[in-house]
Amino acid sequence: MFRILFFGILFFVTGVQASRIGESLVRIEATSMEPNYNTPWNPGDVISGAGTGFVIPGKRIMTNAHVVGNARFLTVSKEGDPQPWIARVAHVAHDCDLALLEVEREEFFSGTSPLEFGGIPAIESMVSVYGYPIGGTRLSVTRGIVSRIDFQTYTHSGLDSHLAVQIDAAINPGNSGGPVMQAGKVVGVAFQGFRGDVAQNVGYMIPTPVVDRFLKDVEDGRYDRYVDLALTYESLFNPAARKALGLADDNRGVVVSSVYATGSSDGVVEPGDVLLKIDGLDISSDGTIPIDANGPVPLTEVVERKFKGDSVVLEVLRGGKRKTLVVPLHSPWPFTLQASAYDEKPRFVVFGGLVFQPVDWNFMEAHDPDNQRLNYLFDYFVEDGIHEAMKEPVVIGSILPDPVNSYAGEFLHSPVESINGERIRSIEDVAAAFAKPVDYHVISLLGDQRPIVLESNLVEEARPRILERYGVTSEQNLEK
Amino acid sequence: MNIPRLFPTLIAMMIAAVPAVAIEPAVSGDSAANGLRHSILRISSTNQAYDFFQPWVKKEPENRRGVGALIEGGRILVTADLIENANLIELEKADAPGKVTAAIELVDFDCNLALLRPLDPAFLEGMIPLRLDATAANGDEATVVQVEPNGELAKTTGRITSVTIGGYPFMNLGLLVFKFSAPLQQRDWSFTLPVVRNGALCGVLMRYDSRNQTSEVIPPPVIAHFLKEADGGTYRGFARLGVSFSSLRDPQFRRYLGLENAGGIYVTQVAPDSSASKGGVRKGDVILAVDGMELDEDGNYNDPDFGKILFSHLTNTRKHPGDECDVRIFRDRKAMTLSVRTEVPDDGKRPSATYSGGKPPKYVVLGGLVFLELSRDYLREWGGNWREKAPQRLVYLDAFQDEMPADRGRIVILSQVLPSPRTIGYEHLENLVVSRVNGREIKSLEDLAAAAGQPGNGFQRIDFEEDPKTIFLDSQAVQDSNAELMEQYGLPALQRL
Repeated sequence: MFRILFFGILFFVTGVQASRIGESLVRIEATSMEPNYNTPWNPGDVISGAGTGFVIPGKRIMTNAHVVGNARFLTVSKEGDPQPWIARVAHVAHDCDLALLEVEREEFFSGTSPLEFGGIPAIESMVSVYGYPIGGTRLSVTRGIVSRIDFQTYTHSGLDSHLAVQIDAAINPGNSGGPVMQAGKVVGVAFQGFRGDVAQNVGYMIPTPVVDRFLKDVEDGRYDRYVDLALTYESLFNPAARKALGLADDNRGVVVSSVYATGSSDGVVEPGDVLLKIDGLDISSDGTIPIDANGPVPLTEVVERKFKGDSVVLEVLRGGKRKTLVVPLHSPWPFTLQASAYDEKPRFVVFGGLVFQPVDWNFMEAHDPDNQRLNYLFDYFVEDGIHEAMKEPVVIGSILPDPVNSYAGEFLHSPVESINGERIRSIEDVAAAFAKPVDYHVISLLGDQRPIVLESNLVEEARPRILERYGVTSEQNLEK
Repeated sequence: MNIPRLFPTLIAMMIAAVPAVAIEPAVSGDSAANGLRHSILRISSTNQAYDFFQPWVKKEPENRRGVGALIEGGRILVTADLIENANLIELEKADAPGKVTAAIELVDFDCNLALLRPLDPAFLEGMIPLRLDATAANGDEATVVQVEPNGELAKTTGRITSVTIGGYPFMNLGLLVFKFSAPLQQRDWSFTLPVVRNGALCGVLMRYDSRNQTSEVIPPPVIAHFLKEADGGTYRGFARLGVSFSSLRDPQFRRYLGLENAGGIYVTQVAPDSSASKGGVRKGDVILAVDGMELDEDGNYNDPDFGKILFSHLTNTRKHPGDECDVRIFRDRKAMTLSVRTEVPDDGKRPSATYSGGKPPKYVVLGGLVFLELSRDYLREWGGNWREKAPQRLVYLDAFQDEMPADRGRIVILSQVLPSPRTIGYEHLENLVVSRVNGREIKSLEDLAAAAGQPGNGFQRIDFEEDPKTIFLDSQAVQDSNAELMEQYGLPALQRL
């Protein structure tokens, strides 16, 4: 019944008016708790915010992941209806900034019209942005044209980049998660822009290939993240390089520079391979492919549209011979260390007033450490293969001063090499190493530092004192 | 190509000395003061540093002016930074017109001291050399000498407020420093100034902080060491032990190590190929005493002249290079004594040299690819906060170089690309560490030049440690276009080794 109605509306309405869109739009009020990586045992700071969402088929509401990240309590309300309805996150994809919400009571959806998705809008074509940006409480519409279609970093994770469409319609705080419409169909989800002092009339929306992929990924009830080739390549413009690699002067092919250990291509692709085709599509010497009518896009767009467990077929030139390689795709875990994480609890171990924490983007953001060695481990974690030796670097994130650690102040933010003779490769290793019965706990640090030595009887003595004084409610958390 | 803007940091850091409260005329009856006039010279040095981003050019010339002290042997003592990269040095007497050109007889950037000599020795006739006063110590009064435009001496008396081991401007070497407090005034000719006491020289002022009215003075022991080395035939300079250490104040750590008596420091790193490493000092040793002097938990010994001073003063200033030095250590719960021969490490052999001493930087240009050896001079081109601004991988390589194998050699980098038809597709490459050229491992720019002379199959193949890992140039095309490249980018030569 619902579906019929849905098709009916869109069939009849081509130039959709704001009043109709109003039936699909929801205003989202989110109360979230942002974990504090400086006091990781605390529940975090309560923050409230508002964004936009829209009803899509299947009694679901689509919005941005950043509207509902770390959410503890969500309400949605319809245009012209003051009642807040309690909602919850059904699926969230932090790597492409999308989320799906469900509403507790189905009655919410009566009178709403789910929106349908279109394709990638043409450059210079007109689009309208709907939402609840700052400046008022009612529905707002802004209009503009499609300025650019390109890969962009999705700032929510800060690491992932996907296709994004730049439009010149105003996108302001509160617009996030709102639909961008053209000819009655959703052609994108408004999600990010620049502050006015950086650039003007530059807003970005998540285009439908990314949205479609997300919807397809969650069909099995869970979100599996993007997959990646986990390799780098270099364009092949230079005539000498082409000749040296045995390539014709035909503007085709890129050369593989690095293949990251544990990534999808590890063991299949080799550095120095020349990539000629991906899934049958010719690769230009700048690494682009003609995947659809909108002009060339980076070859990774093929992988962007795939899922965990899918494969990609590469045609390569290796040592002068053509080869066909099949790369089974999965998500490369080490990269996530360098992305903002949400809906995770900070992990830590407090021992003798020293707070051990794993290094990830959230930690780095909160502490902004000055330690050169720590910064190196973080910056080059994947590139230099540090991830092969450890799951995550562990550092002394903070120190709760107490007589037991009064000489340890200089070791703040120092990366830990081993504890009680056990090499530290993750925060779990820290907890395990301290469980060893010893007289002296010896914490060896990376680089030219002396070890920290804590006498176990003094640590035990200090334990209740430190917990009480600093309001440490839990001595460790190893779960995300 | 992304050439960051340069900042004249060094100059800003140096003294922005100092105007006079009251001009104190050379008081009559003070014979020492009258004599002083005949012992000091105004020195003007026109300096021109190399541009490490374009190592074949020099930056704009700049002028530094200071006051030097005449010492025995017809030599004039100044700080090295006054005459760093000097093109022309001119001397002028305080009270008589006439300039004479001077040459640098000796310069040591470790201790920031240099000796100048006028090309015409007759210029110094009638002048009286200052002797060195080695007795100055903490709490003593001393006088900084400036020269007014009219030739009158302006003397500001202050006090030595502390004696410590401090950083000198050029190298990572801590030498003895007098912290000196005096109400110095802004005046010309004050980049470097002599400090006198009892009519003798007791230091050379090298830094001045006008807000706090504090200055740093190179003290007599450092000057005396420098002069003794200068008089000793081959100049060797200041030795280094080559250890990094940590304080041993933490009682838990002391109990863990089994240290029963007070004192001692913990060795956290021994530089490869250093005096200490050759002498058998290891990471994890506790140094209890150096040259018979017991060390406290922070590494200080009790100096008969200056009180508590960091032990490095013993090894680098009291000892001369080549001297044996007893180092008493505690290892595996046993005390033992090592005999360490103190040596001056060759900065030029470090993977990333600390300071080139104004020598022309080496470079090789190959078909538009510019290769250099990584150095602190290069990183400093990113300005005062180069540690944040410079390419981070290079900063890390510089910072962690003591952990590299002793045979690492120099770190050779592709600093930038001068675009040409040969380098199409490589324009964006910069600051990449070169691992091999034509299959040969690269440990110096000379290696690179030699390897580039043997292209394989008509290609120059360059391998990097980072992406893009490998690039190729057409070796014949490179050869044929050399003249054009030099013309286009104004290169005087394709290499300087």
